[in-house]
Amino acid sequence: MFKAPGFLWLFAHELRLLWRGSILVRTHKSVIAPLLIVGLLFQGVALLLAGKIVEHPLPLAQMLLAANLNLAFLFILMLSRGVISAVDTLFTRADVDLFLASPLPPGRVLLVRMIGVALSVAAPWALLGGVLANALAFYGQYWALAAYPMLLAEGLLVSAMAFALMVALLAWMPPGAAHRAGHALALFMGVFIFALGQAPRFIAPARLRAFWQALTPDPRNPATLLARALLGQPAPLLASLAVVLSLFLLAWAALSGRFAKGALTAAAHRPGGNASRQTGAFRATPFAALAAKNLRLLARFPGVVSQTFYRSLTLVPVAMILLGRVHFGGGVAVTVPLLVFLTGQLALFFISVMVGADDAPELAASAPVPLEMRDRAALFAAAYAALLLMALPLLGVLWRAAALIPVLLACMAGVGASNLLLGQRLPIPLVRARFGKAQTGTVLGLVLGVGVSSAWALASWLLATPSLAAFLQAG
Amino acid sequence: MSGDAALVVRGLCKSFGCKAVSGLDLTLAPGEFYALLGPNGAGKTTTLRMIAGLLRPDSGSISVFGRDVLTDPLSAKAIMAWLPDEPLLYDRLSPMEYLEFVAGLWRVAPTLARSRAEELLETLGLWPHRHERCEGFSRGMKQKTVLAGALIHDPQFLLLDEPFTGLDAASARLVKDMLQARAAAGAAVILTTHILDVAERLATRIGILSGGELLAEGDLPSLQRHAGFTSGSLEDIFLHLTIA
Repeated sequence: MFKAPGFLWLFAHELRLLWRGSILVRTHKSVIAPLLIVGLLFQGVALLLAGKIVEHPLPLAQMLLAANLNLAFLFILMLSRGVISAVDTLFTRADVDLFLASPLPPGRVLLVRMIGVALSVAAPWALLGGVLANALAFYGQYWALAAYPMLLAEGLLVSAMAFALMVALLAWMPPGAAHRAGHALALFMGVFIFALGQAPRFIAPARLRAFWQALTPDPRNPATLLARALLGQPAPLLASLAVVLSLFLLAWAALSGRFAKGALTAAAHRPGGNASRQTGAFRATPFAALAAKNLRLLARFPGVVSQTFYRSLTLVPVAMILLGRVHFGGGVAVTVPLLVFLTGQLALFFISVMVGADDAPELAASAPVPLEMRDRAALFAAAYAALLLMALPLLGVLWRAAALIPVLLACMAGVGASNLLLGQRLPIPLVRARFGKAQTGTVLGLVLGVGVSSAWALASWLLATPSLAAFLQAG
Repeated sequence: MSGDAALVVRGLCKSFGCKAVSGLDLTLAPGEFYALLGPNGAGKTTTLRMIAGLLRPDSGSISVFGRDVLTDPLSAKAIMAWLPDEPLLYDRLSPMEYLEFVAGLWRVAPTLARSRAEELLETLGLWPHRHERCEGFSRGMKQKTVLAGALIHDPQFLLLDEPFTGLDAASARLVKDMLQARAAAGAAVILTTHILDVAERLATRIGILSGGELLAEGDLPSLQRHAGFTSGSLEDIFLHLTIA
C-alpha cells in the first residue's frame, strides 16, 4: 500500500531549497571570505558592546522596555517579510502545484512551508542579533542565548499570521486583489516601522523622556512575559515558547483545509493588462524598442513600488531639512550626501531589475542588434528612472541652496554611473528564483554598491561642506 | 547551388567537452523546407543555434543568402528568424507589446509593423488576448505569440526548433500552412521536430543527424534508398539509421 512521504522527508527537502536559495549560497563565491571578515568584525564590536553592558547593567524595568521594543520592532519587520513569502508561496506557482498534484496531504505541505517561512524570516535576525547574544554569553551572561529560541518563536508566529492573512484575503476577494493587498500590507508595515524609528528625531527631548517613562513596564506585569523570556528567565521562556507553539499549531490546523483551496484560487489569477496604456506605439529604432521594453519591465517588476519606496525613505529627512523643519550643523549641505547615496542605491536597484527581469536575453541576441546597444539601453532606462525620482529633490536643493547644485549633480552622475556599471556585472539579488529558474543576483553587488554609494556620498559631503574648504585653505 | 543558396554550412564543428556537432555540411536553396531530425542529444539545437549566430562554432563556416554569419552576424541576423524550443517571451509584456519590441529590434517601419502585428495576431487567434500579459498564457498561446514575433519582420530564412510544441491541431495546421506559404514565397525554412509525420509531409528535404554527424539527407525516396529500403515510412528509416 502506498504511503505518502513523511513530514521529515518533506522538511529536509524544504531546508535544502531554503539553503540553496539563501543569499549566502546563491551569491558569488568570492563574497564568502569578505562576509566572514565582516561577521568577525561585527562579533568584535559586539564583544566590546557586551563588555560595556556587563560593566554597566541597566535596571530590570529598562531592560524589559528594551526587550519589548526589540520584539515589537522585529515582529513588524518579520511580518512584512512573512506576508511577501506567503504571497510568493501561493501565487508564484512554484512547487506548490507539484505538491498539490502529489499524494502528499495538503496540510503537511502547508506545515512544512509555514516552518520554512518562519526560518527564512527569523534567520537574518538570528545572525545579526546572535553576535550580541554570543558576546554576552562569552562574558558568562548565558541568559542572552534565549534570543535564539525567541527569534524562532517570533518567526513561527509571524508565519502563522502571514498565511492566515493571505488565505483569508483569498477567501474574501478575487486573487488579483488579494495579491495586491498582500504587497500593500507588507509595504505599509515596512513604512510604519521606519516612520516609528524616525519619530524620536522629531519629538522634543522632554516629551520623549516622558514617553519612555510611560512605556517602562512594571516587571510584575504579566504583559512582560515575552520580554522576560527574551531576557532568559526560564519560566517565562518556556511559557512563551509553549504559547507561541500552540498558536502556530492552532493556525496550521485551522488553515490546513483552506490552504489547497487558497492555492487553487491563486492559480486562477491571470494578470490582466491595461489596454488603455497599450497604445501600440511601434518604434522605428532598436534602441527605442529596447528602452521602451526595459522601462515596461521595470514598471511591472513585482515589488518595484515597495522596494523603491523603502530606498526613497531617505527623502523624508531631506524634505524636512529643505523645508526648514529640521536643522543640522551643516545646514542644507547635509542633503547632498543623502541624495548622492540615494541616487547610487536607486541606480543599483533599477539596473539589477533590468538584468534580473530579462527573461529572454537570447531574443535580442538573435536580432541584428549589437551587444553594446542592449547594454546601453538597459543603462539608459535605469538612469532615466533614477533621474525621474531624483528630479524633485534636485529642484528642492536648487530652491534652497543653488550653489550646491554643481557638486550635487557631479556626484550624482558619478555615483549613478559607478553603480549602473557595477549592477550590470554584479546585480543585487531581488526575488527568489521561480521554480526551475536559476537565481540571478549576488550579495557582492549589494555590498560593493553600498560601499560605492557611501564613498561618493562622503566625497560629496567633503566637497559641499564649506568648513572643509576653509580647512584645506588653512592647510 | 552555393552561389545563390539560402544556407551554406561547411565543416561545422562544436564541442562541449564531447563532440556536439562534427564536420557538418548543409546547403539549402531559397524556398526549400528542410527538416532536421535526430534523437535527443543529436546536435540539432546546437546546429540551429550556431546558424542563428547565438553560438560560435569551433570551426567551419556558415553563410545565409551570401551573408557570413561569423564575420557579419548583424547583416545575417537581419534576414533570419529564430524560434527556440522554449518560447523566448517576456511574461510581463502583452502580445502586442512583445510584437512592438521585436519589430523595433528588426527596424520594421512603425506603420508596416503595426499592420503586420494586427494581421498576425488576428490570424493566430491572439487578437482577443492582445492586451493580456503573457504570463497567464497556455504553452500553445505563448508559442503562437513567439511565432508571430518570428514572422513580423518577414524573414527570408526561418530557423524553427520544435515549432509545433504545445499547439492544438487547428493551430498546428494553421502554422504549417503559414510556413509553407512563406517557403512558396521564396523563404527558406529549416526546422527540427520529433513528429516524423510532420517532417514527412512538410519537408522537401530531410536530414538525419546523430552524434553530431549527418547520417543521411534527401527526400523520402532517396532516404529509403540510403537505408536500403524499397518502401517504408520515415519512422522506419529514422529508427533503422539512428538505432543501428
